Formats: sequence, structure tokens, C-alpha cells
Amino acid sequence: MQIELRNLIPEYIETGDRRNSQIWSQNIIIKKGEHLHIVAPSGSGKTSLIQFIYGLRRDYTGAILYDNNEIRKLSTEGFSSFRQNKIGIIFQDLKLFEDQTARENIEIKRILNPYHTEEAIVEMAGRLGIKSKLDQKSKTCSYGEQQRIAIIRSLMQPFDFLLLDEPYSHLDEENRKKAMSLIYEECEKRGAAMVFADLKPLELLKGEKILQL
Amino acid sequence: MKFSYKKIQPLLISGKNTFSKWLGYFGLGIGVLLLLVSMQMFFNIQQLLRENSPRKSGFDFISISKNITNENMGKDNSFTNEDLRKLKEQPQIVGISPLIANQFRVRATAGDIIPFSTDLFLESLDDNFIDTVPPSFTWQPGQTIVPIIFSSDFLEMYNVFAPAQGLPQLSPKTISSVNIILDCSGPGGIQYFKGNIVALSDRINSILVPKTFMNWSNMHFSGDTAVHASRVYIKTRDANDPQLISYLDQHDYHLNKDKIKFSRIKSILQNIVSSLGVFGILVIVLALMLFSFYLQLMIAKSKDNLRLLLTLGYSPKWLAKSVAKTWLPVYLFIIVGALIITEILHLFFLQISFVNNANLPPLLHWSVWLTAIFLLALTVFINSRLVKKELEHII
Repeated sequence: MQIELRNLIPEYIETGDRRNSQIWSQNIIIKKGEHLHIVAPSGSGKTSLIQFIYGLRRDYTGAILYDNNEIRKLSTEGFSSFRQNKIGIIFQDLKLFEDQTARENIEIKRILNPYHTEEAIVEMAGRLGIKSKLDQKSKTCSYGEQQRIAIIRSLMQPFDFLLLDEPYSHLDEENRKKAMSLIYEECEKRGAAMVFADLKPLELLKGEKILQL
Repeated sequence: MKFSYKKIQPLLISGKNTFSKWLGYFGLGIGVLLLLVSMQMFFNIQQLLRENSPRKSGFDFISISKNITNENMGKDNSFTNEDLRKLKEQPQIVGISPLIANQFRVRATAGDIIPFSTDLFLESLDDNFIDTVPPSFTWQPGQTIVPIIFSSDFLEMYNVFAPAQGLPQLSPKTISSVNIILDCSGPGGIQYFKGNIVALSDRINSILVPKTFMNWSNMHFSGDTAVHASRVYIKTRDANDPQLISYLDQHDYHLNKDKIKFSRIKSILQNIVSSLGVFGILVIVLALMLFSFYLQLMIAKSKDNLRLLLTLGYSPKWLAKSVAKTWLPVYLFIIVGALIITEILHLFFLQISFVNNANLPPLLHWSVWLTAIFLLALTVFINSRLVKKELEHII
């Protein structure tokens, strides 16, 4: 699978603001296996870009294509098929079910199209240091813990692309490393591409194609 | 998708607001029960009506005669041709048939088995005014056996006084095997016929012989060919029609309404049952409305969760189907429960004394089953349409 951004411009952005952008108004093709790092300060449109690609927003001109299919023409049913099998995501605002436990939050995604067994949840939670939080309601977990729940949830499905929107913003250095290595491992297993949006280039990322927004 | 819906069910169905949910279930149950029971009772009453009623295919058959008063006593009180013509002209009257009586003497004996002998009267009436006409109710000159249709009221009366007279009581079945010798005599001579009771009539209070026999014997024994009808049967759509009654009153005709009372009560019953059925439909509609409000409220409450599930990749079609399916067991339970209660009530109905003899099947009428299946399909359809529509709003 490949994702193509064709002359993509958010409707709300001024012409001047996108003059130096390596993404807006450009033609970009992201192929399976590639690692793309999008760097930009807050408020410059990282989350918008991720949401455009995931199909949550349509306030842009230009086109986004999944395998040559314009996503504006995709039905909600079509989107759900891509979201189950091809594209994973970690939202900046995490989007967890507050009243569900950490385990239930992860399980809800896993059962949709299981790539891992239920045991893998415990194993990954152990690696990220939230094993003891699995049966706690997610709203009672700290933001950092919630971020790790969201990371594990995104890794439960098969995917060709993983979209990450500031996934480590509330993690300390050590946990950031752990999470990063888990994500790398999982992408490697699937030969998947990573589209990683963050405020600044992370030292942990090596060999990524870095684009300024 | 093969995964279980159970894991996401708590996200969509909140435990709150169960009152309107249970009220909806209760209303639906009552409505379905009312509809099914009233349908079954309607069929039961219709069946009873068909079997016992003198009222047939929407017509009442009533007999009228002239009122006998001190003034007209002793005069000829039979209907003239003019009377009959005027009666026929009445818009409420669909048809008339005069009861023609014998103009000669008839004596009946029942042979050696029942030592019984009496003077008798015979009457004849158009076949289509008689409720029970077997094919054997015909007579041709030269035939020695005369078929007779006997009033079931007369049989009842006979059975009342028979024991006191040392006579055997007779059932409707055995009466057909009693040999009656008809001894007809008049100026034209004397002749014996063998009378054979071929049917009993609930409608006509008389002893009926075929019209051909009556015409022949009146001519043969008394030489009288004029029609002397002291009673006339009227076929009308409604014997209680005020215009008809006022016409009969004006002409001083006496109306025998006994026979139509039972059928009237039954048609009133049928109307009550039909209204109950309509009321049942109304209750079902209200319950479904209440239930859809509950559904809308529930979906509105879980809007955020539903939206997040869709964002995570849940198929809207699958979600709609699964949410709608949640209530299938409840609907099934309600409708099957109503069917079972209807069946029990129907069996109780069969035990009631006046129904006992009727030939009613113990199982519910097929259209009651069909209605239950239709109601199930309808509730499932309305439910899934509603859920789908609500989900489309969210997307």
C-alpha cells in the first residue's frame, strides 16, 4: 500500500504560511516500509495533517490517495476496512474510553482484527511499565500512562502505515525509548511505514526522512 | 467481522433510563397480547356464528304476522297479495317468502314404537329462507315419503313434555329415524304418507315440507289454490332498522325478534372484540414509539463512544446490525409469550359451556400466527431502520 498527498493545502492556512512547507502544496508519496518524520512547532498543522490522512477531516484542497483511491470518495464502510487492516494511529488526544479499563480499551481494538493474542497485551504493558494499570479505569491513569495505553492499542492490529501524532509528549526519556523501540519492532514485523509528527526531531529517530511542515 | 459484540455493548447501552425501556416492553407485550387475543376471539365468534346463528351472510331472517286483536279476531288475518307486494317494495326488505299452511286435515302418528298421535299443521317456505336444507328436501307427485324440516325449538318442547306422557325423549340424531305416518284428509280424499325428518331448523318455528308437496296436497285435498299466508318471512340486512320497525308498526304487523337476539349479541361481541383489536394496535404503536424514543436517547447518550468506535475502524453497518440485534431476544420473548398466553386463553374459551359443542380447533387460527410473525418482523425492521438512521446522523 502507498499513501499519496497531492497538492494538499488546509483550507484555513494563509498562503504565506505554507511558502516554506515541505508538505503543503507538495506532491508526496509515502511507501510501505518508509519512515517519515514531520517536524513543526505547535499550531502549525501536524494534527490536521494526521487527521486529513486518517480521513477524520476534509477541510483541505488537493487530494489524498490510498493506493490511487481518492479518500474523499471512500465510504465510511471503506474507511473502516482501511482502519482495520492497513492504517493504525496514535492520536494526540489519545481518544480512550474513559470508563473502560486499560485492558478493555486495548481489547476493543484488538478484537476488531487480532494481530496479537491477548497475552501480548500483558507482555507489551510489562515492557512499557503499565502492567499494574491494566485493570484500572483509563480516566484514573496519568496522562503518560494513558499515552502508553494508546500506543499498545495501536499495535494490536495489522497495518501498513502507522500514524503517530506526538505520541511521547508526556513520557520521560526512558519510557520514550522503550515505547520507541516497541513501535519500531512492531513496524518492522509488518514492514510498515511510520508517519511521525512531533515538535522537534527526536534524537532517538535515526535514518528517518524529515520533512518540515 | 466475527468478533463478539458483547465487549463493546457496555459502551452503547447505558444502564440508566431503564424505566422507559421497561415501560416500552410492557406496552408492547400488552398491545401484542390484546391484538392476538382479540383476533382469535373474533375468529372464534365468527365460527360460532356460522354454526349456530340464524343470521347468515349478513342477513336477518324474521317472521311477521298480523296482530290478533279483539277487533279482527275471527276474520281472515292472512296476508293479501297487496300486503305482500307492498312489503316487497320496502327498501330495507331484501326478500319475502310467505309461509303457506295446509288447507286440509293432517294427523300424525309415530307408529308402534312411540304411541303418539296428534293433529298437525304443515307449512312450506322458499328453500333459500331455510337455514338447513339438505339435498333430500324435495318431493314429486307420486312420492310416498315426505321430507320434513322440524323446528329445533319444537323438539326441545317435545323433550320437555315427553316423559310425563310416557313418551321417549329424542336426540336430534334419533329423530331422523322416527317413522311418522301422515294421515292427510279433506274433501279430495284421504291418503297416507311417510314423514321423514331430514333436518332441524333453528330459524323457522314450524314443521316444513317441500313447497311442491304443499301446493299439490292443498290442490288435491281441499281444491284450494289461493295463497293463505298468516306468516311471512322477511330477509333484511338489519332487523333493528328503525325505518323497517316503524313500517311494521304502522301496519300493525307483529315481529318475532327472538331468533335474532342471539345473533345481535354476537355481532355486538364481535364489534367489542374488533375495537379491542384496534386498541391493541394503538397500544403497539404507542409502545413502539416509546421504545424508539428510548433508543434515540440511548444512541444520543453513547454518541461519543459510537463515534470513537467508528474512528477506531468499526464498521457502521456491523454496529447498526449489532445494536439492533440486541433487542431481538426481547421482541422474540414478548411475542412468543403473547402467543402462549393467547393459546391458553383460547383453551379456556373452549371450556365455556356455550362454546363446548362448537367445532372449534384447539390451536390458534393461522392468521394469528401470521400476525405474530409479522409483528416480530415489523419490530425488528423498525428497530434496525431507526438505529441505522441514528448512526448515520453521527457519521
